[in-house]
Amino acid sequence: MNTATGIIKALNSGIKHLAIKRFTLRYPEEKLKFVGDGYQFDPSTGVGIAGYKGRHMLFHDHCTGCQLCSIACEGVAEAIAMVKVPEEHKQNKKAIMPQIDYGKCVFCGLCVDACPFYALYMTNDYELSSFSKEGLIYTPAQLQVKPYVSQDSSIQITDRGATHG
Amino acid sequence: MNPELPPGLALQKVDERIMTLNVGPQHPGSGHMRIIVQIDGDFIVACDPDPGYVHRGEEKMAEYRNYITNIPHLERPVIHDSCNVLYPYVLGVEEILGIEVPERAKYIRVIASELNRCIYTMYWLAIYGIFLGHSTMFMWPAGDRELLIDLMEKMTGARVTHAHFVPGGVRNDLPPNFEDVCLRQVNYFEKRIKEYAAIFYDNPILIARTKDTGILSRQDAIRLGTTGSVLRASGVDYDLRKKEPYDVYEELDVHTNVMKEGDSYARSKVPWLDMLESCAIIRQALQKMPKSGSVRVKLKPNPKGKGLDSVYKRVESGRGSLGCYIVSDAKPEPYRVKMSVGSFRNLIALPYLLKGEKLGNMPSVYWSLNYWPVEADR
Repeated sequence: MNTATGIIKALNSGIKHLAIKRFTLRYPEEKLKFVGDGYQFDPSTGVGIAGYKGRHMLFHDHCTGCQLCSIACEGVAEAIAMVKVPEEHKQNKKAIMPQIDYGKCVFCGLCVDACPFYALYMTNDYELSSFSKEGLIYTPAQLQVKPYVSQDSSIQITDRGATHG
Repeated sequence: MNPELPPGLALQKVDERIMTLNVGPQHPGSGHMRIIVQIDGDFIVACDPDPGYVHRGEEKMAEYRNYITNIPHLERPVIHDSCNVLYPYVLGVEEILGIEVPERAKYIRVIASELNRCIYTMYWLAIYGIFLGHSTMFMWPAGDRELLIDLMEKMTGARVTHAHFVPGGVRNDLPPNFEDVCLRQVNYFEKRIKEYAAIFYDNPILIARTKDTGILSRQDAIRLGTTGSVLRASGVDYDLRKKEPYDVYEELDVHTNVMKEGDSYARSKVPWLDMLESCAIIRQALQKMPKSGSVRVKLKPNPKGKGLDSVYKRVESGRGSLGCYIVSDAKPEPYRVKMSVGSFRNLIALPYLLKGEKLGNMPSVYWSLNYWPVEADR
């Protein structure tokens, strides 16, 4: 192939893409769709349930204050600290629950794997930015709230190319 | 010359004609490393790559963490290829602890590592394109990577640094309907990367810049101990997926891509051909995978080694052979973890390849080595 035809073919290959729909996701206006409600773990079988590894969700009625999540995180990010909670639960005599510092968390989900009481799951919430370092520390009360995550687009493949729609 | 400066930092005056030039570590064209080149006019006389700027002490850190909590930090060297970086460690720990992995988990691992190989290669291709001044080749791979990152996100829950492989299988089973989505997106991805031939690989401008630059002969490639795409571009048919099959690679039909030229063009084309091969492997694995079954063996909370034991496992990563040597004693932490990475082994070829080249050819030769500075420094 000589130089002229090669360059024309290369240009032509690019020009064909002018007619194709945009692939880019317009992030703040549209957000990606995830599978499931976030990463979960079933301690009876020892296998996780597929989902996005985002912010954690803590179930206060299940947490026993056993500190296994905190011990699992010691070797990873040291993001989990056990703190006193004001309310009383009969399964949690010590009244301590995990507090997670998202300035340190690497979202590996090993704390979820460590929890034997179905108390700690992960959710689809990934928008955790804050103006201060203190704002990244989530207390047990904040972790209890189920986040609302808008999910409106996934990859669509048609004959004319792929788009987010 | 200032005598107080350490020898590497001082400007060295060798000759009236020869000038020493530091490319990097701040230069965007060098990655996180420095290349000290001596130039005579426009020609490179000598070259000394200086890695080590992003050393994180991964190997030492591994001695203070147990076999499971080692996983998140050991995949950090190459976040785009995190499944492959973790693969030899996980295989080694499985041998130390004596775990038999379920069949379905092995197939999921193969799919994940092939997807990761493509994700890494696309990122590398994007960098290779932009440093040759071809900005379309930066945009296209960066966009098409998204198809596979989306698959990895559905599968593992994270877009990079998946922490998906564990000793005993994988962390979670595939989400429902994953096989269909995977097949559809991988088929489209394959169609897309075939379009790169016209705009990039058959482009006469690229061929003029990369053909016959930095030729590594077959003998030199073997003697310098290069690996992966660099070795295969020099005409040596060596791929660990075929030579030393691990997990289920021996049941899959793996075809290696070999080019004889050994120049920058061949070294940049072999990873692209490997991506097409990866798509074929993913399709085979999806077809042969058991439709149901366990994906993870339940381990004790803090598994310990049986006694003094050592194991060396290696896999074919996006950058070539990646080995992990683990010494264990009867403790929950490994006694020693040593990684032998493809990037560092390929970097040794750089001084030989750049000698006598023009300075303008340096990016095309350097990036064609499939070098990832963070992995080399570990």
